Amino acid sequence: MVNITINGKTAQAKEGEMLLSVIRRLKIDVPALCHHEAVEPLGACRLCMVEITKTEWDGWSKFVTSCLYPVEPDLIVSTHSDQVNEIRRTIMDLYLARHPNSPEIRKLAEEYGVLKTSYEVQVDGDNCILCGICTRICDAMGFHAISLVGRGHGKTVAPPLNEAPPDCTGCLSCALNCPTNFIEFSDQDDKRTIWNKEFEMLACVKCGATTITREFAEHLSKNRDIPFEYFETCDSCHRKETSLTMGRIAAWTKEAQS
Amino acid sequence: MQIKEVEHIKKLRNKYLASQKKFPRKVMVCCGTGCLANGAGKIVDAFTDALDKREIKHFAVEAIKETGCHGFCEQGPLVIIEPSGTFYTKVKTKDVDKIIEQSIERNEVIESLLFAEPKSGEKIEKYGDVDFFKHQHRLALRNLGKISADSIIEYISVGGYKAFAKAVTTMKPDEIIDEIVASGLRGRGGGGFPAGRKWRTCREAAADTKYVVCNGDEGDPGAFMDRSIMEGDPHAVLEGMMIAAFAVGADQGYIYVRDEYPLATTHLQKAIEDCQESGLLGENILGKDFSFSIKIARGAGAFVCGESSALMRSIAGEIGEPRAKYVRSVIKGLYDQPTVLNNVETYVNVPLIIDKGSSWFKGIGTEKSSGTKVFSLVGKVRNTGLIEVGMGTTLREIIFDIGDGIIDNRPFKAVQTGGPSGGCLPAEHLDLPVDFDTLTEVGSMMGSGGMIVMDDKTCMVDVAQYFLGFLVEESCGKCVPCREGLFQLHKLITRICEGKGEEGDLEKMEHLSQTVLTASLCGLGTSGPNPLLSTIKYFREEYEAHIRDKKCPAGVCKSLIKYEINDKCTGCMACIPACGYDAITGEKKKIHILDQDKCTKCGACYAVCKFEAIDVS
Amino acid sequence: MKNRFIVNPVLCTGCRTCELACSFAHSVDGQMGRSRIYPLDGGMTDLWVPVTCLQCEEAACVKSCLVNALRRNPDTGAIELNEDICVKCMACIAACPFGCALHDTQHDLIIKCDLCGGDPACAKFCPTKALEYKPFETKKKKLAG
Repeated sequence: MVNITINGKTAQAKEGEMLLSVIRRLKIDVPALCHHEAVEPLGACRLCMVEITKTEWDGWSKFVTSCLYPVEPDLIVSTHSDQVNEIRRTIMDLYLARHPNSPEIRKLAEEYGVLKTSYEVQVDGDNCILCGICTRICDAMGFHAISLVGRGHGKTVAPPLNEAPPDCTGCLSCALNCPTNFIEFSDQDDKRTIWNKEFEMLACVKCGATTITREFAEHLSKNRDIPFEYFETCDSCHRKETSLTMGRIAAWTKEAQS
Repeated sequence: MQIKEVEHIKKLRNKYLASQKKFPRKVMVCCGTGCLANGAGKIVDAFTDALDKREIKHFAVEAIKETGCHGFCEQGPLVIIEPSGTFYTKVKTKDVDKIIEQSIERNEVIESLLFAEPKSGEKIEKYGDVDFFKHQHRLALRNLGKISADSIIEYISVGGYKAFAKAVTTMKPDEIIDEIVASGLRGRGGGGFPAGRKWRTCREAAADTKYVVCNGDEGDPGAFMDRSIMEGDPHAVLEGMMIAAFAVGADQGYIYVRDEYPLATTHLQKAIEDCQESGLLGENILGKDFSFSIKIARGAGAFVCGESSALMRSIAGEIGEPRAKYVRSVIKGLYDQPTVLNNVETYVNVPLIIDKGSSWFKGIGTEKSSGTKVFSLVGKVRNTGLIEVGMGTTLREIIFDIGDGIIDNRPFKAVQTGGPSGGCLPAEHLDLPVDFDTLTEVGSMMGSGGMIVMDDKTCMVDVAQYFLGFLVEESCGKCVPCREGLFQLHKLITRICEGKGEEGDLEKMEHLSQTVLTASLCGLGTSGPNPLLSTIKYFREEYEAHIRDKKCPAGVCKSLIKYEINDKCTGCMACIPACGYDAITGEKKKIHILDQDKCTKCGACYAVCKFEAIDVS
Repeated sequence: MKNRFIVNPVLCTGCRTCELACSFAHSVDGQMGRSRIYPLDGGMTDLWVPVTCLQCEEAACVKSCLVNALRRNPDTGAIELNEDICVKCMACIAACPFGCALHDTQHDLIIKCDLCGGDPACAKFCPTKALEYKPFETKKKKLAG
């Protein structure tokens, strides 16, 4: 265990744990737009920056992204010092200039007192904040269907060659975890469309309800050693089946006991 | 040629030197990229052809050396006759016969091919007496122009691999590191981190596999220090890496070369193959328990890949983007293993330190920055090129002694140092000694050695706008302060250049710069606003003229200037066809008229006018 | 001795107290969450079966999770879902052959029984002891007797 001080209070952290994880455990609200626990930290949005110092640093302090700064013994952390707040305000100001139409960005900017951007608004700015959560999750799940493409200000998220990605199984994890709900998809008539690729939703053999795509189910069955028939019945019908099976066992037990 | 023990190196050297004695004169043709572009390849062919046609006593093809870059590219192709040191510039193929007849056969000097000092016009015979060369102190560039660039035996003949042999056979790894630490050698790539300390941490890191990596991804516009060394003295790079590998306990090395450097890649590849063939790379080198091999990794030209973490990711086949490194790469670098990463210039200093000792090296330069530094001196100076001076040399000495002052005797305005994320320093700082720390103190940096000299016709706002534009292009786009911050800074400064600047813009840029400096992920962002901040610091009134008076005092920013024809016009009609937009009309011997509505401010008329009849305001 | 979660449908009256307890125990921001347990018709008169996660030894939900959000708690033996890691791909819901991974549509969360971290509310409030959380051995003896 490592002892650190966060905003004047002592806290205990596991060796090698990242500062942000300790901060969140203490329920201190530090914003982060590129952070997701399912994937390795990236340090791209810079909103989770905190100011750190140590007694022996003699008044000197530095700013680090807490999402990927491992705890050190006797670290003194300020999550909302004036300078930290100023950095966050400026970053939100920059975000707001680029994504003026994103409700999520507008809300977070407002929390930091930025109601209107000081910079040139990009009229054609979309809502993708290039946090890379979608691509990192896609990589972590083993699909590698989409990627950040290009560099600098012109960077985008896209499938290879901007065509329907062959490796996408339509699991929707990219879209569902996008902090600004930028990634478009549609679920209609047992068909799912995402990244310009159409998927068949796997319908329950009993009631016809759908949960995941056939391609995703086939992938899981094949690669994770799960019988495909598990996926052919929906959760609700599975529960009914379970109750009937257990009912038969119970009736049999009852009979045996009497 | 097998080198299995130290004695073999000595024998090879003596044998080769003896074989060269039959040539009393040698022709050194500079075959660096610059001279090759100027036709040096044809010069070499012409020499060879000429030798086919005639027989000259004591001269043969082997006495024509295709050397590395001398650094004086604008005067190329360069030919030097050794041992006299006769220095010929701008040599053409038609001059070759003359050179053979007069300089080689009769040992005469050909006046017309000599270099004339731009300031005095005086013709100089020997290259060592040229202002450009005589004020230099060449260590890293020691062999450039002196030996055939891609020949291992030529490298050995000038003492090459002597230091490596000494290190491997007579020193313990810790002693080598002690020596490098004592020499005070600091990273030449820009960071200035003590190389010895880096090596020690890497040596002490517990791991089975360690790497030695050479950063040859030089990307600063106009800089070609590392390219010239890799092209002209590839074995010195290898020797430095080999010593480093032995010291830290690495068995694999990588040289990361940007793909725009094909000649460097070819020469390095040949050098590596020659070393493998001779046994200097491979298993049980020099009969010791030391194995090392080197691979070349070619970069795809992203500027940010010169950043250490991005470079290592690129070698590993990942996207070349930096990652935050709160764990340093000497502990967890390439493939997550302890890695020593130094740049080309740093490595080539290593054999010298091992050979001549740390106290010799420490005696050169300043107390905290020992040794020398290579600079790429460009811009409005009379002599441009690659130069090397002892640390602590003043900017004035570099610009006015080596560079021979400003073209057309115009006033010096500023010097931009440190590459795109360096800063611009005004005349008041001309007497600053150049080293790692002093330039940083005044808001610029030494960086990897870019040096652009500017005269009074340079607009500092325009300069800052150019560099910010470069960085916006090259930002990897990973972190927000760099991607969006530099972008907005560039937007703001572009508006100022276009005359749309507003009161408060400077303060807004300064404020935003602070966040970009503090919050960016890698060095590109944390130094990105430097060109802006340093120009605001030293040339604030120029910014204010753009914003308040909508004027560009240097007459550069197109939206803020006007071309006008004054009464000095003789009516010579030279400017009329020069204007591609039919903006100038007039008759012979009558003052011409410039139509402001048609004028695109391209400056073509200004360039052709011989009578100073065109005003820029 | 570790506690085990024991379901005895014979004693279940279908009163749905367990559902209520579960919802309360898993409230989200002060709102009741979706229950992880459902007493369902056992297919015979007066027979109710409280269906909930069986914490399978070789669980399909764990296998189906590509981001490793489902892990067994070594203290309770329950397979717990780490909501922060979960990417909501619904693979576990589709994979579980007992239908015991669920989607809380109101709060957009994937949920499953976590045995309340070692003190399951359903068992605590079950008026008929159809649900019990107690050392396994007792049950074994009872069966043997």
